[in-house]
Amino acid sequence: MAFNLSQLELGARARVTLVGGAGPLALRLLEMGFTPGTVVVLVKRAPFGDPLELQVRGCHVSLRKAEAARIEAVLL
Amino acid sequence: MTPLRVALAGNPNVGKTSLFNELTGARHKVGNYAGVTVETRAGAVVPRLSPTRPITVLDLPGTYSLTPIAEDEAVAFRCLTGAESEPPDVVALVLDAANLARNLYLAVQLLELGRPLVVALNMMDVAAEAGTPVDPDALSRALGVPVVPTVARTGEGMARLVEALGSIEHVPQAISPLRARLLAGDDALPAPPVIEAARWRWLVSAAAAGTLELAGPTAEEQAALAAHPAAALTAAAHARVIARYREVDALLAEIGFTAAQRERAPAMSRSAAIDRVLTHRVWGLVIFVGVMATIFSSIFTWAEPLMGAIEALIGWLSEQVSAALGPGVFTDLLTQGVLAGAGNVLVFVPQIALLFLLLGILEDSGYMARAAFLVDRLMARVGLHGRAFVPLLSGYACAIPAILGTRTITDPRDRLATILMIPFMSCSARLPIYVLFISALFPAEERVGPFTVGSLMLVGFYALSTVSALAAGAIWKRTALRGPTPPFVLELPPYRLPRLRNTLLHVYDRTADFVRQAGTVILAVTVVLWVLLSFPRPPDAPDSGRAVAEAVQVDPAARAPEDMSAETASADPKDTSPSDDDSPIIHSIGGRIGKAMEPVLQPMGQDFRMGIAILGSFAAREVMISTLGLVYGIEADDENQTPLRDKLREAREPDGSRRHTPLKGLAAMVFFVYACQCMSTLAVVRRETRSWKWPLVMFVSMSALAYALAVLVYQVGLALGYT
Repeated sequence: MAFNLSQLELGARARVTLVGGAGPLALRLLEMGFTPGTVVVLVKRAPFGDPLELQVRGCHVSLRKAEAARIEAVLL
Repeated sequence: MTPLRVALAGNPNVGKTSLFNELTGARHKVGNYAGVTVETRAGAVVPRLSPTRPITVLDLPGTYSLTPIAEDEAVAFRCLTGAESEPPDVVALVLDAANLARNLYLAVQLLELGRPLVVALNMMDVAAEAGTPVDPDALSRALGVPVVPTVARTGEGMARLVEALGSIEHVPQAISPLRARLLAGDDALPAPPVIEAARWRWLVSAAAAGTLELAGPTAEEQAALAAHPAAALTAAAHARVIARYREVDALLAEIGFTAAQRERAPAMSRSAAIDRVLTHRVWGLVIFVGVMATIFSSIFTWAEPLMGAIEALIGWLSEQVSAALGPGVFTDLLTQGVLAGAGNVLVFVPQIALLFLLLGILEDSGYMARAAFLVDRLMARVGLHGRAFVPLLSGYACAIPAILGTRTITDPRDRLATILMIPFMSCSARLPIYVLFISALFPAEERVGPFTVGSLMLVGFYALSTVSALAAGAIWKRTALRGPTPPFVLELPPYRLPRLRNTLLHVYDRTADFVRQAGTVILAVTVVLWVLLSFPRPPDAPDSGRAVAEAVQVDPAARAPEDMSAETASADPKDTSPSDDDSPIIHSIGGRIGKAMEPVLQPMGQDFRMGIAILGSFAAREVMISTLGLVYGIEADDENQTPLRDKLREAREPDGSRRHTPLKGLAAMVFFVYACQCMSTLAVVRRETRSWKWPLVMFVSMSALAYALAVLVYQVGLALGYT
């Protein structure tokens, strides 16, 4: 299993390699800027550990862990 | 001269609403697209800005993209492509200069659509402050369209924007290398010859997202899509998004942004500092609870004096009408039907206006997204979005503003599930009913440990209603409203000072819409209920109608928890004769319906008196008490002001047994926990779902549940030997 964004440590950076799966979620994630090559930073986890706050393309976007798990990445 | 038709597009949180209000002088009409709840607003540009040519502006929903994944994007897409009406002459795209790396994606999509385009480069000041100033001329050259710098907050740049919009027809836009590249495309699945290339890309994307119906495909288009395997459609749609972002990166490089610059979020640095507190794992939750408590108490109690004032005004008007016209059926129709109905509508206005004012401030400031972020984990357990929290909480005060408040939930399925959950929350109107029965039939003052029996029972009913609401949500989300869990994917926008003018305009729109749309239904039902409970009139009881009117009117005092004992004590306006079953209300159609209902009510331990009260409570739940008072008041002794509570306690059956036993009271309270006995709720649900289907489903399912559980409680209680 490749590394994905749900496994990111706080403050760590990763480069997106692939948004897996089909359907509306994959397309929405891509359109929000999680395209391959984009650098993402984990800014924060919500108080109950989920969802996550990620920095991508100059914005802060919140994703649930299950959604972030769809995004494969390499740690920088 | 035919007006120039402009469509205003842009991401959420880029100041699009402010810009629209500046252009139109905040005079607009709120419109809705058929079958969807997405709102669009249309207005004319003020003559000061466009003295020679009339310009109309259509404000599209704020979207990150035009791919029809959800209703918002679908509305914008259909409007821009002219699927439903003529396409706009020119598109004005509002871009956040401080966030071009994501905003330009929408620009690229609009260029692909090929409509004339003018960019309003907003928040120039924020970008400059954040250390990433944008050169509008460079952006204009890169995009190949006019770019006008604006500061929508101050109205700066509006005249130049209008000028650019007005002149675009006369200056044919050169096909920039970018647009040529976008239009030529490098699609993995080339468009069939009969379908326009741009249209085909959207169809492929919608098909990949599984939301093809939102794009409104023709049979021919569906057949063309069906020729490709799903995996190929998905791959092509993904490749298209990636290709667009490659163009965005090229654009950013062209205007001098480095890769490092587009990755950072300079405009967010101040917000990140605020978030260290507001989304902190401890302080964030503490503040969240405080904010929610403020919202809750405001609609619960702040609205109270205003509601009382509205009631007083309606009462005063009724007196004036009665004095002017003298007694008679027509006067009664006016005062007890029409004026009482208007009161039933207007009494909700303070709560609705307050809730929308607070929601608007929270939304515009950026806090609402944080609130959803904080509690999403809890809401996700029911299968809902974090945004459902505030409307659900509001349901404890009143379902009407709460249901209107679900508009902040973007996914239509989630929104509907939340709407269906809200009436289960025990609203403030149900509180007096619980208190009446608990204090009349139970040893409410006795203590169990530090708590009184009454307060424990009350907590129990609130817990029951909360658990039931959550269960209802979970059940709806797993059955009729099942679907892919909507992506949470939520932007946490930079914190901004809310613009009070925009918020107040929104509050006005929402409130006026409620009065116009749901108000007419509420008014009509009030008149019908008045007829049912007043006719036929017994010849010897000319005064019966007056008492009925008091029953059908929403009594604001009944909503205030601190007033409830006074309310229940004085709910009985006049006591007349002790002779049973002889009060005028019993002779009315409503009374006969109550009688006819008795065999159905007996299994849950209720008699026709409760039948009449349930019928009367349809006007509003708290009316149940005054209707019941009316039934008993007229049965009781003349001049005897025994409170309704004592009357319920003392009422005896002909055989001398107590008429209202604790078990019967318990069954009645369980009934009111679940029964959707509120025409205003149903009228608002009809308005918000745009059909009678869901209010009907809600009413039937909740009434059936209420009945079944009340019967269960009563029968099990009897079997266990309780009375």
